[in-house]
Amino acid sequence: MSISHHPGDELLLSYALGATGEPVALLVATHLAACAECRAVVRGSEATGGAFLASVEPSAMSDAALRSVLARLDEAGPERPSTPAPAGDVPFPLRPYIGDEFAKARWVPIAPGLAHLPLITRDGSRARLIRARPGAGVAVHTHRGEEWTMVLTGSYHDETGRYTPGDVQTTTPQVLHQPIADQGPVCINLAVTDAPLIFKGLLPKIVGKVFGF
Amino acid sequence: MHERPAPEAVRLNALIVAVGRDRDRAAFRELFDHFAPRVKGYLLRLGAGGAVAEELAQEAMLTLWRKAGLFDPGKASASTWIFTIARNLRIDAIRRERRPEIDANDPTLLPEGERHADETMDWAQAEDRLRRALAELPREQSQIIELSFLADKPHSAIAAELGLPLGTVKSRIRLAMARLRAALGDGT
Repeated sequence: MSISHHPGDELLLSYALGATGEPVALLVATHLAACAECRAVVRGSEATGGAFLASVEPSAMSDAALRSVLARLDEAGPERPSTPAPAGDVPFPLRPYIGDEFAKARWVPIAPGLAHLPLITRDGSRARLIRARPGAGVAVHTHRGEEWTMVLTGSYHDETGRYTPGDVQTTTPQVLHQPIADQGPVCINLAVTDAPLIFKGLLPKIVGKVFGF
Repeated sequence: MHERPAPEAVRLNALIVAVGRDRDRAAFRELFDHFAPRVKGYLLRLGAGGAVAEELAQEAMLTLWRKAGLFDPGKASASTWIFTIARNLRIDAIRRERRPEIDANDPTLLPEGERHADETMDWAQAEDRLRRALAELPREQSQIIELSFLADKPHSAIAAELGLPLGTVKSRIRLAMARLRAALGDGT
């Protein structure tokens, strides 16, 4: 399987740093399950997080903290590696939301040949699955923020090209987006929209260089 | 160029391995002294209140105790591993969200392309190189990387705040990440 459309560095970085909301994190994790190349990028970005942690100004813990943690060690048994999950066609990051098999998920019909399955809605950002029979198309739609569509099974095409399993198509509100499912296996996509609420002036003011040392 | 040794990172790795293998409490105390104040500092820097930062730092150390057996120095440095623990605890506690992740036992995961067939990454040394590379980034790039950590906001919000087009923010991130990747890959 060759993947030619990736989420992009900025999304992978946000995911690695924990700065994305759950819907976008779900999209990235699902892509990572299919893409070794992006997993390597996330690993590198997490190392950036490690460097940040290593150079951040330490803040003294309270006097009782160590004692309190030591007293609780016995209640925290060692964690074993999890056992392999059962077979199924749903990518692992999606399983907590819909189970192991697409066919058993609770699809909601929305139009002939078309069904969807809402997964998460949060702060104007949402994730859902869209299932399209060959030839079915999603109506032209608009959204305030960016939208990402990841192909899970089958394939689709639109004005910009053809997308196959693992591909993530990124579209902005300026792009007219009207995907049509190709002939062949049913096309299931993970669609995530991010409509950020922008509050000016709330970003922390940067004081000094975080990474200076 | 001769690689500077990273004795501190090597020591921390060994301590986590000792906790995982022997349930070594003395090693755990050392890890607590090193990491708990840093995790607390990281959480404060991200805007958590003092009590929450203190509590989550304690939780992070308990998680370290439980998961130490799963730590693999070939995949991450000690600091990076603790960072991911603190990151996930924060998402869970402050945002009350699930953290979607890949499953290490997923049989369909293809192996990541290794750098050299017989050579594994020395993350302890890589961390040193990464920190130097971060300190040397042009200000316009390091500022956006910092905001990516601190702002907890999508890049479109960062772009709006800085009065920059989203495309400019994204291209600066790509430039910065290319440099950081080069630093990670430069093991000679």
